[in-house]
Amino acid sequence: MKNLKKVIAVLVALTLIATCFAACSNKEEAAYFIGGTGPLTGPNQSYGNSVNNGAMLAVEEINAAGGLNGVPFKFEMKDDKASDVDAATGYDALMDDGMQISLGSVTSGSCEAFAKRAFEDNLFFITPSASQESVITDRPNAFRVCFGDPDQGILAAQKLTKDYEKIGCIYDTSDTYSSGIYAAFEGEMKNLNKEYEVRTFDAETKTDFSASVEALKDCDVIFLPIYYTEAGLVARACVDKGLKDIVLFGCDGLDGVAAQIDETVTNKISYITPFDVNSTDEKTANFVKNYETKYGSKPDQFAADGYDAVYVIFEAMKAANVNDVNISASDLCDLVVKEITADDFTYAGTTGEMKWDASGACTKVPVIVEINK
Amino acid sequence: MVTLLDGLSLGAIYALIALGYTMVYGIAKMLNFAHGDVIMVGAYAIFTVFSITGNPVIAFIVSIILCVVLGIVIEKLAYKPLRTASPLAVLITAIGVSNLLQGLAQLIFGTEPKSVIILNKLGSVEIADGIILNISTIVTLVLSAIIMIVLTLFIKKTKTGRAMLAVSEDKGAAQLMGVNVNKIIMITFAIGSALAAFASLFYLIKIPVSPSFGALPGIKAFAAAVIGGIGSIPGAMVGGILLGLVENICLSIDVIAPYTTSIEFGLLILILLVKPTGILGKKIREKV
Amino acid sequence: MAKSKIKSNFKIKNHLNYILIGVVLVITFIMNSIGELGRLDRSTLVRISFSIILAVSLNLVVGFLGELSLGHAGFMCVGAYLGGYFVNVFSGFIDSPLLVYVISIMIGGLISAFFGLVIGIPALRLKGDYLAIATLAFGEIVRNIFKNIKFFGASQGLETKIYPEKEFFIITLITVIVVLILCQNLIRSKHGRAVTAIRDNEIAAKSMGINVTFYKLFIFIIAAFFAGVAGVIYAQCIGQVKQESFSYNYSIEILVMVVLGGMGSINGSIIAATIITYLNILLQNELSGPLASVKLVVYAIILIFAILFNNAPAFNNLKNKLSLKGNRKKSKEKDDEAEWNRIDTKIKMDEMLSYDLPNDDDVNSYSNSKEDN
Repeated sequence: MKNLKKVIAVLVALTLIATCFAACSNKEEAAYFIGGTGPLTGPNQSYGNSVNNGAMLAVEEINAAGGLNGVPFKFEMKDDKASDVDAATGYDALMDDGMQISLGSVTSGSCEAFAKRAFEDNLFFITPSASQESVITDRPNAFRVCFGDPDQGILAAQKLTKDYEKIGCIYDTSDTYSSGIYAAFEGEMKNLNKEYEVRTFDAETKTDFSASVEALKDCDVIFLPIYYTEAGLVARACVDKGLKDIVLFGCDGLDGVAAQIDETVTNKISYITPFDVNSTDEKTANFVKNYETKYGSKPDQFAADGYDAVYVIFEAMKAANVNDVNISASDLCDLVVKEITADDFTYAGTTGEMKWDASGACTKVPVIVEINK
Repeated sequence: MVTLLDGLSLGAIYALIALGYTMVYGIAKMLNFAHGDVIMVGAYAIFTVFSITGNPVIAFIVSIILCVVLGIVIEKLAYKPLRTASPLAVLITAIGVSNLLQGLAQLIFGTEPKSVIILNKLGSVEIADGIILNISTIVTLVLSAIIMIVLTLFIKKTKTGRAMLAVSEDKGAAQLMGVNVNKIIMITFAIGSALAAFASLFYLIKIPVSPSFGALPGIKAFAAAVIGGIGSIPGAMVGGILLGLVENICLSIDVIAPYTTSIEFGLLILILLVKPTGILGKKIREKV
Repeated sequence: MAKSKIKSNFKIKNHLNYILIGVVLVITFIMNSIGELGRLDRSTLVRISFSIILAVSLNLVVGFLGELSLGHAGFMCVGAYLGGYFVNVFSGFIDSPLLVYVISIMIGGLISAFFGLVIGIPALRLKGDYLAIATLAFGEIVRNIFKNIKFFGASQGLETKIYPEKEFFIITLITVIVVLILCQNLIRSKHGRAVTAIRDNEIAAKSMGINVTFYKLFIFIIAAFFAGVAGVIYAQCIGQVKQESFSYNYSIEILVMVVLGGMGSINGSIIAATIITYLNILLQNELSGPLASVKLVVYAIILIFAILFNNAPAFNNLKNKLSLKGNRKKSKEKDDEAEWNRIDTKIKMDEMLSYDLPNDDDVNSYSNSKEDN
């Protein structure tokens, strides 16, 4: 057995070396390299794939229009399965390959790992969707396109307090996005002196929601700062308990919930989002049309965020008059940060009209989308 | 009240799965780690057949057949060759089978959770004022109770059932008495897997299926089997229901809800320390 | 003269593994200095380092003590959180990252060792399968508790200071060498022999005067200590400690390394840990998408075959043919047979045994004839 094992070990080692050489493909065309990581496989793959699709579409459009002073862009997203370890690996690989500027990571946890390294190397990144506050805190090189978790929590608290009497909330303690929004929600509710009922769950243990919904059955609205899969389960639990009148209100994580429920769910579901796929705004409508032509389905807000993020990088680099394709990541970062935080820099994208300040946060107006079945 | 009934239905699911573990342990003297993933396979079978035919009954029957076949195949290929090997080897093989099933499921179906919306259409019923029960909960409870009664009768009254008891008491003596041990072990796995198919149906009502669908319930049911007394069939039922109740009660009390997992496993460790053979288990003396 | 020759041979063969790692260290150091080593390579080396430490420490419990522990990742989790916390604390006022690292791995290791004691005590009363489940439960409880402690960041996890990236791999490789020296000396000492005696037959060992209680606890504590050290390395490599990274899936992955390498073989653990970690990184980086699922299937199949091959009596013939040792065994048997053939008594016995037994009629006639006589 020992002999056989040794043989296998050697064979494996040889295959590995061979794969290494095979993977080192050499198509060196001078281009600006935008990198990023996101979950392309695994339970969160829809987010990563959406951002990837949106970003690729943007890069194609930019290149078709001549790139930046004739130089094209190149975009690559490494799969991180929403894990911080894989995001770190992806970052290392991208840097080895010559990444100059980036979209960070799609999910908050991974983006945190990415951001730590990017900070050490002074690599500029603007994340389309990582909304955890700590990602951009104290990092002058870090920016985001989406709302921060605290912003959504505060906004939700204000809106729900205004519109409803009895408020309930179910959030996921195992998820930073959910807990982050909830923390801000909790704080704002305290400021507004408004009482509410809260139940928690842990997505990892995949509980069903009958118990939680049962406890909140007297509420007018349930705030759900969670993702669409679990939101679909909550909706079903409400129907099971016969609670047809409860309103479900969520944040951008609920985008996609429509696919999770069937016609038995008649409750009103709405959520905060920066992107309305049915908008008549010209830029948005064009984006939706082109996306659908290329990918065969309508874009969600993650795709829109990715699309906008790439364009923001492009606009900032244009405004900074970048013309050296071999510019180092650090130099590029300094130039871009200076432009993007300038008072007069603004970008009207598919996810709204955006401005940035030195903190990296993006100011824009949110939209509230309703699903009525 | 509703919490209790929800807890009972969850407990019934755990009990059905725990029965599979306990029977296999009692008769084949091994821990079938892959049992939880048989549930996952059953759930995917229901999903697939239902998507194709739209008929839940056919979907469920196919699922039972598939689970039984799978259980028997796993036993023949992975466990039977190791019957004389150390328990450590069998345990690790079981883990390997479990990972294999999860990996295959991931390969075929991807990791996105898939819902099967069947029994939800039954809606709910109001018993007393304000207390609304899902019909699916009631169905789960009633069917599980029937299954457990049938199983107990089977073990006590039929010849095969008594043969199973004999093998679990003393394999060698049973063999001397003319019991075909191989066949009995095969039947044990078959029954355990059939029960798993039922469990997967009831669990699918609550939660969409994904490759890791069966892993956590499997471990919890295993804990339940140990708590109730591994090797003892009434023990598995008691342990499963107890664990389901504990879980639901903890979840409904907001302060301790996040610690539910710790409490459940803590209960397991407590039982292992205080009475390792479980609530209804028997003491085993070890010889050198 | 002959004695010293044997002594020097003995030395090299037994210390081969960490000498080899030392060689790897020197080579990679040189490569790094001339710029041939990319970021990904460096972080791969760090990850291989802590994987080796994990595999070797688990092997102490599984291979040498013979008890199945499915909660090894739980010890790593404790070390990562606590060690990581102290890294942050000490980095505040100690300038040398090396000193911070050394102090933190000590603390992380010691706290993990304490938990090793905690799990070791019930382990005294539990056998085989029951112990496996208890360790699994322990791992999950640890994770669940850390998930809810706000002090350690709850679901967001703990942020830790990353060790300066360029030199970390050197430090970790040295750590691996130290760990290996410690473990191997332990195994080769009388304590190691006591432990394997317990594995082979506990009651017999007890009757020989071996303090089983002490040794069982001892092994759990040592294994937990090293797992804690590995946890601290993880924390300083990734920069983020999240309890979801330390699930029982990870415990099982470490177990796979141990089993594939050969239970009770430290060299095997080193090779298996290296190959599996390297493959993981390669798969994540170069070949993503559906191939990620293939990895799970392939690992599982290899694991099942490894166990069946090693343990099932049905495979014994195949095993003997393929193994070096087996051939030696066969030739030894052949020698014995030759010896045996030369003995006179054997020839007599052969004669007697080849004597045909009379059938029923003959028996009757024989006894009849006897009676006649």
